[in-house]
Amino acid sequence: MRRDRIRWLLVWLAFALLGCVSPLTSAQAIAKEVAFLDLSDFTGPVAGLTVPASSGLEDYIKSVNEKGGVEGVKIKYIGVDTRYDVARTISAFKRYARDPQVVAMGICSTPAGKMLQRLTREQPIVCTVPGDGEFQAHLGNFFTWGPTYQDAFAATIDWVLKDWKEKGKEGDPSIAVLSWDNAYGREMLRGGKEYAEKKGVKVLKSELFPTGTLKYDIYLSRLAEAGANYVYVGGVDPTQTNIMRDATRLGLTKDIKFISDYWGPTALGTSLHPEALEGMVVVSFFLRGEDAQNNEMMKKFWTTYRKRPMKEMNGGYAIGLGLGMSLEAAIKDAIKRVGPDKLTRDEIYKSYQNITGLDRQGVVGPVAYAPKVRRASDVVKFYVVKSGKIIPITDWVEAPNAVALHKWE
Amino acid sequence: MRQYNWMLVGIVLAVALMIVGHSGVKSVAGDAALTVVPDKTALSPELIKQPVQFKGTGFEPGETAVVEMVLPKGVTVKTVAEGENVGLAFGDVDDKGAFVAKMAPTATLNWFFQTEWTKDMKPNLKEAKPLPPGTYEIVATGMPSGKTAKATLEILKPAPKTEK
Repeated sequence: MRRDRIRWLLVWLAFALLGCVSPLTSAQAIAKEVAFLDLSDFTGPVAGLTVPASSGLEDYIKSVNEKGGVEGVKIKYIGVDTRYDVARTISAFKRYARDPQVVAMGICSTPAGKMLQRLTREQPIVCTVPGDGEFQAHLGNFFTWGPTYQDAFAATIDWVLKDWKEKGKEGDPSIAVLSWDNAYGREMLRGGKEYAEKKGVKVLKSELFPTGTLKYDIYLSRLAEAGANYVYVGGVDPTQTNIMRDATRLGLTKDIKFISDYWGPTALGTSLHPEALEGMVVVSFFLRGEDAQNNEMMKKFWTTYRKRPMKEMNGGYAIGLGLGMSLEAAIKDAIKRVGPDKLTRDEIYKSYQNITGLDRQGVVGPVAYAPKVRRASDVVKFYVVKSGKIIPITDWVEAPNAVALHKWE
Repeated sequence: MRQYNWMLVGIVLAVALMIVGHSGVKSVAGDAALTVVPDKTALSPELIKQPVQFKGTGFEPGETAVVEMVLPKGVTVKTVAEGENVGLAFGDVDDKGAFVAKMAPTATLNWFFQTEWTKDMKPNLKEAKPLPPGTYEIVATGMPSGKTAKATLEILKPAPKTEK
């Protein structure tokens, strides 16, 4: 009798131990589906920028799954609408923090990125973020969507010098930043300023304003008085559209060249306010305007999955396709290294650093991620708004590494 | 008969251990506490200037506390799936294990007022669908410790408009 009792107890304890061990096993060996958590703004103030990018990523994942997945491993797309709210982003992250199926994630906000960087320090998970140079300066699990903001600013300095020379101007040009008054609005000068000064371009005092500002006369007037030859405009469109409207009304566009950072006018913005944006230059790490409309890959994906006319496609769709190609390549690399049953966060993190040079069909530049590189690519293109269209004025050009010039804490 | 009793004990023990082993979120019995300031409020634009605050104690020094609202059955919030909590605020836990977290204007507008947004990035209060009056459970969770503390927030009926 006693022996029976002990036998039963041992049997059930064995089951219990299996139960305890299984979470570890499931965290290390995942079934043949992995997930990407997209903490994006599907509604809210910057949805106009983030929805196209998230749509591109979701569609690319659909296409991978329709082909049977990556070597048989399907990808689940989990989209959460964070509505431009950091608390919501952290809360949503918490919900999935211990889900081993989620092997990578993406966010669209610089402040949320800074918080999540701390929260994921001990258990790194690949997190894609817009363009904060800090993630390149302090290497970790955060990977930018394109060249960092300061790299784009440095590329703009090179373009400014070329433009200045072509116009036959003498002396050194000056440039000023006009952008949102937050971490994002200051980021481009952390290394970008050093690059400009190294190249002999004078950087004037920035004019920073609260998001949601509708009238820019005061900031523009101050920049004109300071003698700016070029103004680098940050913010998410329609910020750029409203700034150009006021600059045109004040007669400033004749003497000052306005250049937008990544989040400026897209095909949608120019179709709504073509006259206001006329002449604005845009630096971009993804195809936009005419380039995007004519790109075969973008046409194929947009018409297949969104089933909408091409004229409704926002260039930001290219960002998502680029992110999707990187994700697919990283999963493929991880499968090659450890097999399809061991796709952990750690392995995907290692693989993101292994896909250097991946060609992304020209919708964005080739992948630059590497063990010591967190910027997605090294190239940008310049565009100009002309008669309501966004026309390329350069081919892909190098975005210099400005992050390295800044003294980071 | 006794053999079956032992079998039952074994099953219960196994199930209990499996539940503990599989639990995704750490369940930490501790002395964490949460206070909501104010714990009763009507929804008014004043909450943008003077937002609801959450004060917590008993968390792990150096961690981040995220404060969430548990949605009662029948109450929906735009973009929040059923069964999901709504993130309201977050704060850094100090070396004494305490934190203070204020709701950001975007959080107050998104979750209390459920506002829409214009293309110029302005809240469109005309399209707002404020949370219904009632008592809402608030939970603060330390990350990564998993320590939790609970409190309530009562959303009051709006004051009747006075005729001028």
